[in-house]
Amino acid sequence: MSGHSNWPEWIYVAVVICLLTYVGAEAWNVERIVEHTPAEAEVIKVTGQQWFWTFEHEDGTKEVGELHLKKGKPYKFEITAKDVNHSFNIHDYVVLQDAIVGRLNTVWFAPDKAGEYTIQCREYCGLLHYNMRATLYVEE
Amino acid sequence: MARAIVLMSILTVLVILPMIHLVFAEPAEAGQYINRKAEIWNLFFKMMTIAFTVGAVVSGTLIWVVWRFRESHPKAKPTKYEEKGEW
Repeated sequence: MSGHSNWPEWIYVAVVICLLTYVGAEAWNVERIVEHTPAEAEVIKVTGQQWFWTFEHEDGTKEVGELHLKKGKPYKFEITAKDVNHSFNIHDYVVLQDAIVGRLNTVWFAPDKAGEYTIQCREYCGLLHYNMRATLYVEE
Repeated sequence: MARAIVLMSILTVLVILPMIHLVFAEPAEAGQYINRKAEIWNLFFKMMTIAFTVGAVVSGTLIWVVWRFRESHPKAKPTKYEEKGEW
């Protein structure tokens, strides 16, 4: 070990530790922010089954194949499945959560633009999986 | 060795603590809902920037080491073991 300096190695180790700490902290923090559901979020019960989506609002209103929400309001989806596993995805709002039989998975979002968006199943669930879609209407 | 570890620990703490403070700073706009797409894509871009930077440094170092310490390099010299034929 004599005759040369170890400093470059120690600096390299320190830089790696700093980078890994930053990466870990940043990822953990973003996940914390993304998963923190606002208290005022309206709960929407989402049920996936071959091959359509059913939505139930807090007031008991049910919708099949379409979902009407208000712009600027937070919503919490409680997602489950009836027959096989599905996956609930609103691509334009980066909402993606598995719909699992016997489990209740949650995800929240707040739409910020009025318009029509596609809801699509993202877990292969049988013959008509490709057509297991619904439409999200975000209203002013 | 012990001195180096202590010094590096101090340096690491000095760098890591401000970094954690920076990362966990409260967002400026209170009461606004987050934009999932922006948050997730920002994270992705940051991770990719770090990944590509580290990848470039590591592969660059490896390429330089292979180039510099090849037998045919003008400044190459045998190790003390090679000189004595002790391997």
